[in-house]
Amino acid sequence: MRDEGTDSQRKAMQILIALGELSSAKRLLPIMSAHVSGASYKMIGDPGLEFLEDFARDARVVVPTTVNPLGTDLAQWKELGIPPEFAEKQSRIARAYETMGVRRSFSCTPYLIGVRPALGEHVAWAESNAVCFANSILGARTNRESGPSALAAAIIGATPEYGLHTDEGRKPTTIVHVTTKPRSLDFSLIGLVAGERVGEGLPFFCGFRGSEEDLKWLGAALASTGTCSMFHLDGVTPEAHRARTKGLPSITITRRDLVAAKRSYTDGTEADVIALGSPQLSEDEVRTIARRVDRTPPRIPVWVFTSRIVRDANPEAVGMIEGHGGRVLADTCLEVTLLEHRFGTVATPSGKGAYYLPSLCKQKVILDDIDRLLERYA
Amino acid sequence: MKIRGRRIVSGHAKGHALASAVPFSFVGGADPVTGKIQDLSTGVAGQRLAGRIFVFPHGKGSTVGSYVIYGLAKRGVGPKGIVNASAEGIVAVGAILAGIPMVDRIDTGGLRTGDRLILDGDHGTVELPHVRATPVVSAVLRNRDRILIVRRSHAVGSFRGHWSAVSGHLEGREDPKSRAVREVREETGLRGLSFRTAGAPILARDDSTMYVVHPFLFDVASRRIRLDWENVEHRWVRPAELDRFKTVPRLKDVVAAVKRLSSAPELFLSPSLRAMTPNERPAVATRRPNTRPLSTPTVPAMPSTAQVVIKAILMFIIYLSLS
Repeated sequence: MRDEGTDSQRKAMQILIALGELSSAKRLLPIMSAHVSGASYKMIGDPGLEFLEDFARDARVVVPTTVNPLGTDLAQWKELGIPPEFAEKQSRIARAYETMGVRRSFSCTPYLIGVRPALGEHVAWAESNAVCFANSILGARTNRESGPSALAAAIIGATPEYGLHTDEGRKPTTIVHVTTKPRSLDFSLIGLVAGERVGEGLPFFCGFRGSEEDLKWLGAALASTGTCSMFHLDGVTPEAHRARTKGLPSITITRRDLVAAKRSYTDGTEADVIALGSPQLSEDEVRTIARRVDRTPPRIPVWVFTSRIVRDANPEAVGMIEGHGGRVLADTCLEVTLLEHRFGTVATPSGKGAYYLPSLCKQKVILDDIDRLLERYA
Repeated sequence: MKIRGRRIVSGHAKGHALASAVPFSFVGGADPVTGKIQDLSTGVAGQRLAGRIFVFPHGKGSTVGSYVIYGLAKRGVGPKGIVNASAEGIVAVGAILAGIPMVDRIDTGGLRTGDRLILDGDHGTVELPHVRATPVVSAVLRNRDRILIVRRSHAVGSFRGHWSAVSGHLEGREDPKSRAVREVREETGLRGLSFRTAGAPILARDDSTMYVVHPFLFDVASRRIRLDWENVEHRWVRPAELDRFKTVPRLKDVVAAVKRLSSAPELFLSPSLRAMTPNERPAVATRRPNTRPLSTPTVPAMPSTAQVVIKAILMFIIYLSLS
C-alpha cells in the first residue's frame, strides 16, 4: 500500500483503515455509490477550500458520487446580494469536486434525483437526512459518514464494514408509539421529538403510516435532534417486518408532545420570509407549492430550495413562485446558504431547518404548517 | 516510562506536551492561521501548537476540524504529534490528511503541559524519559450506595493528609488483585470481600513520579473498619460527594472507572452505536496487544448471490435472443 497509487489514494485508504479500526471493522466492503458533504463555503470555509483544491490535484472518484448543496445558487448569487469573494470561493469548491469526478448535483436529496440504492446495497453517504432516507426507506446500508470519509470511500470504492452495514447494527433499540394520526408538519415534529428522546438509538415507530415524502421530513428532523441514522416504521419501511422488538424499552409520542415541540422551536413573531427546504424539495412538492402560492399569493417572499434538475425541469412552477415575489433556488439549501445578510426571522415547515437556523444562520424561527403559513401571510 | 497505546497515524515525534484536560474542537478552538489555542476551557489558551505534541482526551465539534488540522500542518503551525485517550473520526482523519503522527488509548489525564514526550506512531507508544512509573493498587470498597475513603496519616510516604481509597504499592511481578485484597485486610481489617471488577490502569501524576493505579471494586458486608497506622480517619460517602474532600490525584476517575464497569450502562445501545460513541476507556494498555491493521482486500469482494443470479438470467436472455 505504501508505494502504490497516488498520494490521495494512499491517504484515502489510510482514512478508511483508521476509521475501520476505530470501529473494530474487519474488512472493507465495495460500495455502489458515494454522497459527499462539505461543499458550502459558509460551512467549510478556507480550510475546506484549501484541502479540496490540493486533493483535487490527483484524487479521482471511482464510483458514482454526488455532493451536498453549496452556499449559494451559482446562477443567481448577484441578485441575492452575495459578496463576490464568497461566490468566487464557492465556485472554486464546486470546481474542485468536479475535477475529482463528482457529479455537479449540489443536492442534499440524492435519492430524489435518481440515486436510489437498492435494498441491501452498500453505499457511503454523508449528509444525515440522506443517510437516514437511504437506510430507512430504501433499505440500503450506510453509516453516517463525514465529508472526508465519504470522499475517501468514493476514491477507493469501498467502506469499512461496521455499524449500519451489519445486520446487528440495524436492530431497533426503542419502540416509539405515536398515538395521533400525523399529517404534513406532524412528520417533522415526530422526528424532532423522537430524536431528542432516542438520542443515539434506533427507533422502531408504530401507530401511523406515511408517504415517502412524509418520511423524508421525519428522518431529516430525527437525524438533527438525535444521532439516529436509521428508523423502522411498522408496516411501511422495508426492514420493519424483520426487526425484533420483543423486550425493547418503549416511549409514547402524543398530540400534546407535538404541540409542545412546535412551540419550543418557534421563537420568532413576524417572519421576513417563508423558506421551504432542508432537505431540498421534490418535483411534486415544488409544483404543489407553486399552485398554492398562485392561489393565495403571500405578502412576504417565498424561497424554495430544490435541486438544479428539478428547477430546470419545472419552468412553469418556477415562474409562478417567482412571479409572486418569491425565488426558486438551486445548488444550495436552507441552512447552508447565506441568509443572515438578508433576513432576521424565517418561517418554515422544516423540522431540520427549525433546528439548525438559529445556530447556523442566526435566524429566529417560526415553525408551522405550510398551509397555515400561507394563510397567515396572505 | 513508556506508555503503550494504539497507533492511529505512524511516524515519530519528539517535543514538549501541550495538554488540555477537556475535549477539543479544532473549529473555533485554534486559530487556523497561527495555530494559537483560543478555547479558554483547555487551560492552555494563548499557547501555540507549533512544535508541540498536543495531548487531549478526544476531538469534538464540526467535522471541518479535519480540514483545519490539514491547513495548520500545511502552514507549518500545526502540532508535531497528537495524543488522545480515544481517537474519533474528526481528529484521526485530520492527522492522516496532515501526516501528523498520532497515538490513542493513552490516559491523557497523566500527561502535563511541558512534559518531554517521545511519540512513536508506528508502535503506538508515548515515552516520558524524565518520569518514573510506580505501580499501585487502589481498592474501592462499596457497601450499598456508599464507598469507603480514608485519610492518609503523616507516617506514609506520599500525599499525607489526603483522602484516598485503600491503596498500596505493587512490588515486583506481584498480582495486583491479591495485593489489593491484602491492603484491604491490613488497612481496614475487613474480610470476606466480594470482588466486582478491575478497571484499566489510571495514570496519576506527582511531579516526576507517575502512579500507575490499578483500580478494583469490592462489595463488603460490613461498615465496621479497624484502621492501621497508614490512615487516621475514614468515611463512608456517596461517590458524588468526593468533590468536597481533598483527595489524592484522580480518585474520582478511579471510582468512576470501576463503577462504570460494574453497572454496564450501555445495555440499551446497539453494538454499532456503541462503536460510534467515543470510547471513553482511556487505558494504559500494558497488557493489551497492539491492534493489528485491517486486512485490505486487493480484489473486490465476491458479488452477492442475487447479483450472480440476475447476471445469469440476463446472459441467458441475451443468449436466447442471439440464437
